[in-house]
Amino acid sequence: MTQETAFYLLAIIAVLAAVTAVRLRNLIHGVFALVIFFAALAGLFLLLMAQFIAAVQVLVYIGAVGILLLFAIMLTERVTGDDGRRITSRGGFWGATAALGVAVFVLLPGIQQTDLNRLPAELAEANATAADANATMAPPHTVEALGKRLIEPYIITLEVVALLLTAALIGAVAVSQGARRVEDEEEASP
Amino acid sequence: MSLLGGGIVKGMAVTLRNFVGSYFNKERLVTNDYAWRPKEDAELPQSAGQYPKEEGEQLSDTTTVTNYSRNFPMLLHDGKEGDTPMDTVRCVACQICERECPPQCIYIEKMYDENGKYIKSPAKFDIDVSVCMSCQICVEVCPFDAIVMNSQFELSTPDRFGGLLLRRDDLLKSNDYYHQIHPGEAAARDQRMADEKAAKEAKKKAAAEAAKKKAAEKAKAEAEAKAKEAEAAQAEGAEEKSEPEGGDSKEATE
Amino acid sequence: MSWELIRDILITTVPLLVIFPSLFAFTTWIERKALARIQNRIGPNKTGVPCTRISLFGLGQPAADGIKMLFKEDIVPKGADRLFHLLAPIVALIPAMLVLCFLPLEFPWAKFVQAPVQAFLLDGAVIFFFAITGLNTLAVFMAGWASRNKYSLLGGMRAIAQMVSYEIPLVLSAVIVVMLVGSLNAADIAAAQKGYQWHLFTPWGLAAFVIFFIAALAETNRSPFDLPEAESELIAGYFTEYSGFKFALFFLGEYIAMFAISGLAVTLFLGAGEGPGVAAVPALSVAWFIAKIFALIGIMIWLRGTLPRLRVDQLMAFAWKFLLPLSILNILIAGFAWHVAKSGAGTGLKAVVWIASLITLYAVARGLNRISRPEAAPREYKYAE
Repeated sequence: MTQETAFYLLAIIAVLAAVTAVRLRNLIHGVFALVIFFAALAGLFLLLMAQFIAAVQVLVYIGAVGILLLFAIMLTERVTGDDGRRITSRGGFWGATAALGVAVFVLLPGIQQTDLNRLPAELAEANATAADANATMAPPHTVEALGKRLIEPYIITLEVVALLLTAALIGAVAVSQGARRVEDEEEASP
Repeated sequence: MSLLGGGIVKGMAVTLRNFVGSYFNKERLVTNDYAWRPKEDAELPQSAGQYPKEEGEQLSDTTTVTNYSRNFPMLLHDGKEGDTPMDTVRCVACQICERECPPQCIYIEKMYDENGKYIKSPAKFDIDVSVCMSCQICVEVCPFDAIVMNSQFELSTPDRFGGLLLRRDDLLKSNDYYHQIHPGEAAARDQRMADEKAAKEAKKKAAAEAAKKKAAEKAKAEAEAKAKEAEAAQAEGAEEKSEPEGGDSKEATE
Repeated sequence: MSWELIRDILITTVPLLVIFPSLFAFTTWIERKALARIQNRIGPNKTGVPCTRISLFGLGQPAADGIKMLFKEDIVPKGADRLFHLLAPIVALIPAMLVLCFLPLEFPWAKFVQAPVQAFLLDGAVIFFFAITGLNTLAVFMAGWASRNKYSLLGGMRAIAQMVSYEIPLVLSAVIVVMLVGSLNAADIAAAQKGYQWHLFTPWGLAAFVIFFIAALAETNRSPFDLPEAESELIAGYFTEYSGFKFALFFLGEYIAMFAISGLAVTLFLGAGEGPGVAAVPALSVAWFIAKIFALIGIMIWLRGTLPRLRVDQLMAFAWKFLLPLSILNILIAGFAWHVAKSGAGTGLKAVVWIASLITLYAVARGLNRISRPEAAPREYKYAE
């Protein structure tokens, strides 16, 4: 039962890391706790034989989002991240209520309604391949299946998302350019 | 139209030449026998073997460094090596180098005599060689050719703070010493200084001559004017002899 | 976990963990010797067999360095974050070691392996490689931040900016190979180049290789992109406050990362383990692979001896205004060429495509070079005339 052990281990790490990320006072420590959470999540994806998703989780969430958070913190005054100011928020009650609500009304029904025996075709195939991998030496071809799915039935969705992201990128550049122009004008007219 | 990346290739060719050459041409190995040195230094004695062969061996005299070695700045004076009368020091404590120094490793205090008058000499001139980055900007900006680069490299000291702070008297070196370590550069600098001085003197002379000429002209003009006036006065004097001083006083006010 | 699985894992991983760290020691010696010769010095030549006068060209130097590092005092600054200060070198080393397993090194004893534990046979090997090398950035930032030293923090900030910028051209140039081969699997990419059909020998492959190599230099903080650890500006940047064994770990991690990224370049562009004699003796493929890695590392050392360090504005302009547009154009060209080749065009048309793409790439590179170069003003003196 290695897989089950690994699942519980990763799940506990993920939950603990998530709680730590929220509770820690030092911002940088918080970011690194978040990174541990992302890594645990990637491990969970790997357990589900979703290699590509795991790789993307590491690439995008740790490699990009984590670094972006660090960047944002470095651009603030509190680079050292260790001043003692405590955030006093009274939203704890509402946060807990919301989390409980999501768990009870969304997650639980979702889990109950899923028929675990009726797995998606690719996943079942992958599991089958993994099961008799000892005999065939063939690794599961999940990336190929994913790529085919993305290119064939979901091509329009993919292109629309790509267009949206490009627009966001150009928008970000335009916004930052605009801000700089305003600054320049302010400098020019004292 | 140069090739894209051609500069990098050219640079790599240079380093490759050095890399290969160091295996075939023993004279290239600067650190080994001090064998490699420019032609004009060829008659200097060759130190034997790698440094330091013996304990306490000192090599940073003028015979062991090459013409091209530059380490930390020094101050020049025009006196003899060894004694440093302050009136031969070229530095006038103008503090340009102090303000221009990127890592700010120079500290200068001006010298005043007992009456509080600024005599053009540094009372203090310290360079912290632990901070100095050997950029030579002080040499570039000095208008008096007072600061140049030394090639002394044996500066190791057991005292981390005091030992690496070179005082004025440590920094003062004679122009002769400069000629010994960097003959070409020193000669060029002396030539330039001499040229500048000659140009200045010529200018001064020209200016003096011009002034003289002007003065002479003025004197001449004055003399003429006087003569004229005198003539006029004489002419007038024939009629009104009673006030000859009037003309004189008028000239004085002019 | 069965006994066989553990055995298989050991068979596949232990060689990597033995070979590359020992090659690291050898590489430091090569680097010191080569740089010395470039500067007309001799380099380490005294240390050899202990207690004798046999010097063996100074080959004992890495061992002596290692012993020195082990016995040095481990100093942690007073205000430092002790946990992160300890973790940073470990986090720097682990991803570098981890990605080695994505290189298609076909050891002769691999035939005893039964379970699918060879990571380079993974379907997403290349994307895993990039995902895991990205973790190195975190380690560098951790080290810079935890040291509580301004130089270290500056080094860490520079490192993040540099690594994030150069990761894009790095990945985009690797994408070309993935596109042409149609697989992210390292073994498939190696197999696609069999028969000396190396990607290096095509115009788009050559351009991609050059971009990849430059970006790899920046990713591994090698000269001329060694701004995060600029000795003369930042006193070794993010590892200013590291000494002893932690410093050695950083050093090891950096060199292993060099091996890994060179290994990926060899896989993607230089035909992996292909070379003369491999058909007869399959074991030679590992030797060829490592020889190619060493060729690339030799070029890295050579460049280090040649080029001065870039300025920060030059660094950023080069990544964003030169490498990025060029690699995007290169993707377009490679896609076009792939379609032409696939449509069964004759040799003449192929040659036309080749020459046209070569000319386009060169012309665009020249143009970009002219546009992207930051202007340098002559030095101005504030106080002197």
